[in-house]
Amino acid sequence: MRASVLRLGALCLDSVRSASRALDRQNVAVAARVIAGDDEIKALWRSVEAGCIEMIWKQQPVANELREIAGMLQIVNDLGRIGERAVEIAKATIKLADVAKKPALGEVDAMAGLAVEMLANAIRAYDQGSLDLADKVIQRADDIDDHHRLGIATLGSEMEADATVVAAGTILLFVLADLERVADLAQNIAWKTKDIYPL
Amino acid sequence: MLDALVAALAGIIAGVAVTLLVVRVRAGRIPSVAPVRPAAPGPYEDDRTQRVLGAFPFAAFLIDSAGIVRYVNEVAEELFEIQAQRAIGQALIAVVPSVAMERQAISAIGGETSEQDVTIGDFARERTLGITAHPFEGGAVLVAADRTALLAIEHVRREFVANVSHELRTPLSAIKLMLETVLISDDDAEARTLFLPQIAREVDRMIRLVEDLLELARSESGNLLLRREVFDLTDVATAVVNTFAQRSIAAGVELDLEAPEEVFVDADRNRITQVALNLLDNALRHTPTGGSVTVEIASEGSNALLRVRDTGRGIPYHDLPHIFERFYVVDRSRSREHTGTGLGLSIARHLVEAHGGTLTAYSVYGRGATFVCRLPRVEKPPTEQNATSTPIFS
Repeated sequence: MRASVLRLGALCLDSVRSASRALDRQNVAVAARVIAGDDEIKALWRSVEAGCIEMIWKQQPVANELREIAGMLQIVNDLGRIGERAVEIAKATIKLADVAKKPALGEVDAMAGLAVEMLANAIRAYDQGSLDLADKVIQRADDIDDHHRLGIATLGSEMEADATVVAAGTILLFVLADLERVADLAQNIAWKTKDIYPL
Repeated sequence: MLDALVAALAGIIAGVAVTLLVVRVRAGRIPSVAPVRPAAPGPYEDDRTQRVLGAFPFAAFLIDSAGIVRYVNEVAEELFEIQAQRAIGQALIAVVPSVAMERQAISAIGGETSEQDVTIGDFARERTLGITAHPFEGGAVLVAADRTALLAIEHVRREFVANVSHELRTPLSAIKLMLETVLISDDDAEARTLFLPQIAREVDRMIRLVEDLLELARSESGNLLLRREVFDLTDVATAVVNTFAQRSIAAGVELDLEAPEEVFVDADRNRITQVALNLLDNALRHTPTGGSVTVEIASEGSNALLRVRDTGRGIPYHDLPHIFERFYVVDRSRSREHTGTGLGLSIARHLVEAHGGTLTAYSVYGRGATFVCRLPRVEKPPTEQNATSTPIFS
């Protein structure tokens, strides 16, 4: 069951990373692959959830076991939502494929870099039961907010300066929100890791 | 009577202790969580196999028929940032978070050999690995070669050729067009006065680019001729700041020089000036109106420091390691607004390194960037008389 959670984590990390890279490099093929991979994420998410619930009623776990299973349930839920966001980013990439001028792409990419780092560390923290790594993810909260604010500000000023980028800019605003959510969910995973492995 | 009571009490305490122990053992781990296998010596624990894989220059894993990691070599520990002790006995996915690699392992256990490129890590530590999976004794052997550096070189080479052709092509097309116009408009004075100066400008641009390329080639090959002399770094900084004073006023950027002391270096004055010009030019280019650029001269231990700090947009942290690469452009969407050849920083770093110094960039994205050039400091020459006052611009 734990291996399945980690597998789901690996799939979601891959999705977010590929989707962000596809957006930055305007690679529609990679974006399409992310969208196609969503079914697998959903199926795995369901099967882990069902497995956890089955374990609860069959084995009636207590104490640490229950805490671990409850944590797993929450973490797969967070991971599933992250997968959904990755698909949204991939869809944005496809929408932006024919647009020549994209505002603030550098800012968006910088934020994506941080979000991917947080997610990778959160999954590693859960895998290794490392509270240090979990704390590292949680401490990034301010950084991601800074990136988010800067991204929105840059998009705003570039859209004001040049009306032709407004259409692309609006799509990228949503991408910023998606990335913010990914980082947020990565922090959730870090918090739950701390719940599962108390000192 | 009392004895009996004590005995009974002791019994109860012992019983509670045993129960607690049992609970502790039970609460340890749920059985399906970490499948730890008894280390029954099998083909995976064979000493010779492990010694062969241990001598590999590539990362190698041995996986048993149930998909459990049974051996990890040292290169793998380093490449995947794992510890063999922790990895052995775990499912592969718990060791390497890559579903693609797990799939390869599964098909290898099923008897199928496969080979593919897999990407792991986050943006800053992204690695592309060439993974080969072979069936082995009912399980699988996975070999991973780090292809990141190779692919990066390949990428740089491709970009370089594309960029050079593009940069040379653009002025050439303009020159050709204008020349044709002048040629067919026989003796039209207006066409000549309009186009000839423009042609000259475009030719200058091409010459600059070719010179930059030659300079880069020279400094990279280590054949750079340095005309060393001992001079005060402050003089160079002052001259460079003076050069840009007009431009900074026009751009509405505050330009400061902070040079509290004389700092002497033994270097090629022209080359160091060139580096300072480049750093300041970059800083001014990336700082919006209302911002500020500060040039600082200081000494730090045995080093002389030239620091250029700006309040511009800064550099995204995953671009930071690449900005000294030839033609590397941080923000492609903005690159065409600027006129740089994309070689400046690369040349600057080579020039500083030729002097035995270092050129480093620091930046928090959104809060500006700082470039620090460190050169070996020397003592002030005894005979020289230096100007005492240092004009400070603001």
